[in-house]
Amino acid sequence: MKLEEGKQLAESAVSKALSAGASYAEARIQNTRARQFMMKNGESQPSFFAEGYGIGIRVISRGALGFAATNEMKPGLVNELAERAVKLARASVPVLKKKITFDSSKAARKRWAAPEKIKIENADAAWLRKVLLDIEGRIGDGKAGVKLPGRFLALGAELEEKYYVNSDGAKVEARLPRIGFFGSLTAVEGGATAQRLLEQGETGGLEVVKRIKLIDKVEEEAKTMGKVLRTAGKPPTDTVDVVLSPELSGIAAHESVGHPQEADRVLGREGAQAGESYLKADSLGRKIGSVEANVSDDPTLLHSMGYTPVDDEGVVAKKRRLIKNGVINEFLHNRATAGEFGLESNGASRSVSFDREPIIRMSNTFVEPGDYSTDELIGEVKHGVFFKTFTEWNIDDKRFNQRYVALEAYLIEKGEVKEMVKAPVLEITTPRLWGSVKARSKSMEFEAAVCGKGDPQQGAPVWTGGPETLLKGIRLGAR
Amino acid sequence: MTGLDIGALNEDAVSTAKRLGAEDAIALTARVKDRMIRFANSSVTTANHVEEAELMVYLAKNKKRAIASTSNLESASVKRFVRDLFDSLKGLPESEYVSLPDGASKYSPSTLGFDRKLVEVGEELPEFAKRAINASLAAGGKRSAGVIDAGTVWYAILTSTGTKGSDARTSITLNIRSFAEKDASGHGLSCSSTLAGFDSEEAGRRAGSDAKKMKEASEPEPGAYQVLLSPTVAANIVETVGMAASAFSVDAGMSYLAEKLGKKVADESFNLTDHGTMKGGLGGRVFDDEGTETRSTPVIQNGVLKTYFHNLTTAKKWKTKSTGSAGLVTPHGWNYEVGAGDSSYEEMVKEMRRGIILTSNWYTRFKNYRTGEFSTVPRDGAYLVEKGKVTRPLKGMRAGDDLPRMFSSVQLLSKNREWIEWWEVDTPTLCPWMLIDGVKITRAYE
Repeated sequence: MKLEEGKQLAESAVSKALSAGASYAEARIQNTRARQFMMKNGESQPSFFAEGYGIGIRVISRGALGFAATNEMKPGLVNELAERAVKLARASVPVLKKKITFDSSKAARKRWAAPEKIKIENADAAWLRKVLLDIEGRIGDGKAGVKLPGRFLALGAELEEKYYVNSDGAKVEARLPRIGFFGSLTAVEGGATAQRLLEQGETGGLEVVKRIKLIDKVEEEAKTMGKVLRTAGKPPTDTVDVVLSPELSGIAAHESVGHPQEADRVLGREGAQAGESYLKADSLGRKIGSVEANVSDDPTLLHSMGYTPVDDEGVVAKKRRLIKNGVINEFLHNRATAGEFGLESNGASRSVSFDREPIIRMSNTFVEPGDYSTDELIGEVKHGVFFKTFTEWNIDDKRFNQRYVALEAYLIEKGEVKEMVKAPVLEITTPRLWGSVKARSKSMEFEAAVCGKGDPQQGAPVWTGGPETLLKGIRLGAR
Repeated sequence: MTGLDIGALNEDAVSTAKRLGAEDAIALTARVKDRMIRFANSSVTTANHVEEAELMVYLAKNKKRAIASTSNLESASVKRFVRDLFDSLKGLPESEYVSLPDGASKYSPSTLGFDRKLVEVGEELPEFAKRAINASLAAGGKRSAGVIDAGTVWYAILTSTGTKGSDARTSITLNIRSFAEKDASGHGLSCSSTLAGFDSEEAGRRAGSDAKKMKEASEPEPGAYQVLLSPTVAANIVETVGMAASAFSVDAGMSYLAEKLGKKVADESFNLTDHGTMKGGLGGRVFDDEGTETRSTPVIQNGVLKTYFHNLTTAKKWKTKSTGSAGLVTPHGWNYEVGAGDSSYEEMVKEMRRGIILTSNWYTRFKNYRTGEFSTVPRDGAYLVEKGKVTRPLKGMRAGDDLPRMFSSVQLLSKNREWIEWWEVDTPTLCPWMLIDGVKITRAYE
């Protein structure tokens, strides 16, 4: 209902901006409803729900970009805001050295919705709590074989509805339901602690909880923490082969491939915040990894957290082959960066809220699968470490120097997975990491994550994932 | 937004809640006017203007509690919203609960941290950006990226026990990064609650100057170093101490400060105080989310942990009083102040035998919040110091430590302090330079 009410406002705002002198205008009505339930150490916290509804208007005038937003949805005020966006753009022209020009992407006219079996609106606090109680029933009171004195669990159900219109003729209506879980587990045994932060989720309705086997997954993680505390020994310090699990393949793909290949970073637009990139505009075609290094970003994956078949600039999105056979193949684009590169946008522009400008975002970034079975891949390793899950991680702002510290990790000897090792550290440059890829398994798994970027910050839901990835000849770091 | 009466919104919400039978109700509304200009490669990339408001409502009945926020602020929508929230209580279990205290408090806006001149700032932002870019250029930066953000927020609260008040804050911040050549960058900040305190040129000059000095930077040898943290870097680390000081974090197993009340958690020279309001403070307000008066809270005094941050619920559990730090779910700080030392910057550098100066950082991530083990990635100006003298610029490193060790190894604090609030520091922090011994520096395998 709310979205229907806003449609006329959006169309009127675009007209008003054009008549005020904008060469381009767009308006996006965004309506979000989120319910969340939280439990801390088995105790219910207050139930939480949030509603957000408003309009964001973006214009180009004299080559400068202006953005204005409000949640006071009155025609006079919204039209005034559209004019203000044009004035803002013009007022900034004295500091404009390079005019912003959009590409000539075909304007989408489409209504889309992420598939859902059981409507997200049915997720009331009682349902959310029941799921968390089921998890508690598996991991509370040492039931997973380890004491977990610190347990914070949160389950959320969110519906995002959008109506987007621009002066190039795009008209897009979207319905995007999501289920997202966050858990922080702290295990204690023999005076030592282990900690795991868990994110799981998909787009869809209430069926997501069963589809992703959420309760089993959290129980398994808790059991593993006990094993880490009881059995993990020192990791090797000599040169080893490293097998990255789907979780590690995914975070590496996201951090050291997806981010540096966002064209706005490449062009310097995020320089003061998330940073620039070790790649430049002329880096397309540069060899960065072995022929086995293949990384993609695909917004069209059904059920994914980054499912965005049409982006927030009214462009139909498509799969992007970021690294193909070890070569930098494609950047993530919006209409402005595509215009600068003389290309058409590949539909990577997203905004998380009506009051945030759309910017280039990853969707679901992953290492492409290979043709090994997991056993065959492990069989290739004489002396190595299997990084299964990670805790601490970070990367520099050019996306060149990264670190992943494992929580669950195993020694591999003569092609067999052996005992657990404690907190091995992979601290490595991007070319070394992707240059060391020797094989990939067939199996694919994805993790949910929230990717931060922009100013003000925009936390965008994404998936990261991939197969098991074998890296040859790696020197591990140390904490 | 000029017509929006946030006090009337609260009246609507609380009277509806009472009529429905809520035992406790809180309505807290924030109205925001935010103006921003961003630039990159010394050219503006966008100019933004956002005016919005949000109403947060808390209801309790029979020890069942629910919190909700909405930006649908028409009167009919607010009434429907409160009714839906009240109805949702029926399906809930009892939760950790304490009723709102008897007695009504009345709050007037604090004059600290509010500058009427900043409310109307907008068209001046391009000129401020230009000054910063030019100052950087003059100091050696070749191109700059940055953001200037002028924010005003008005708050109003009303509770079912009659507590009522309003407050407002203004702030203006510039975050500028300048680049001289490949891998040579510098960072500058100007953060102020008043227009008079804002100096975009000084921030630009600092960014440009560091960018110039960073030419031909090289990697350091891995190992343990004395590290001199700028206020920008120190504030980023101090914010994680503030998070650990929340009683919620302690209860959730996410704090290295668990079981440390009354114990030494830092060198005795280290003092951390939180202020609800303070002169120059860019954040905070006179009341917290439960209507409790905010105050100055010594968190770490002479290296000893004095208290956790509490709201009414965590205070009951810990058999103490609220520190005026609600967050309905998570208590938190408002404006952090790290006590000044008595050293000048030059004296601190002179004290360093083998050390590294870090001027900016990002991506601080924890291996384990319970133990406080973390690492962070330095960026922009970083310099090797040998026998008290700066010898060369550094790049490509990572600093790792654990918070208990790090804060027990504070060697010197500067006399001068700066307000820090930017992309990597959410809670405004008045912070000195901090010299810390024994921080582990690592490099990536190339």
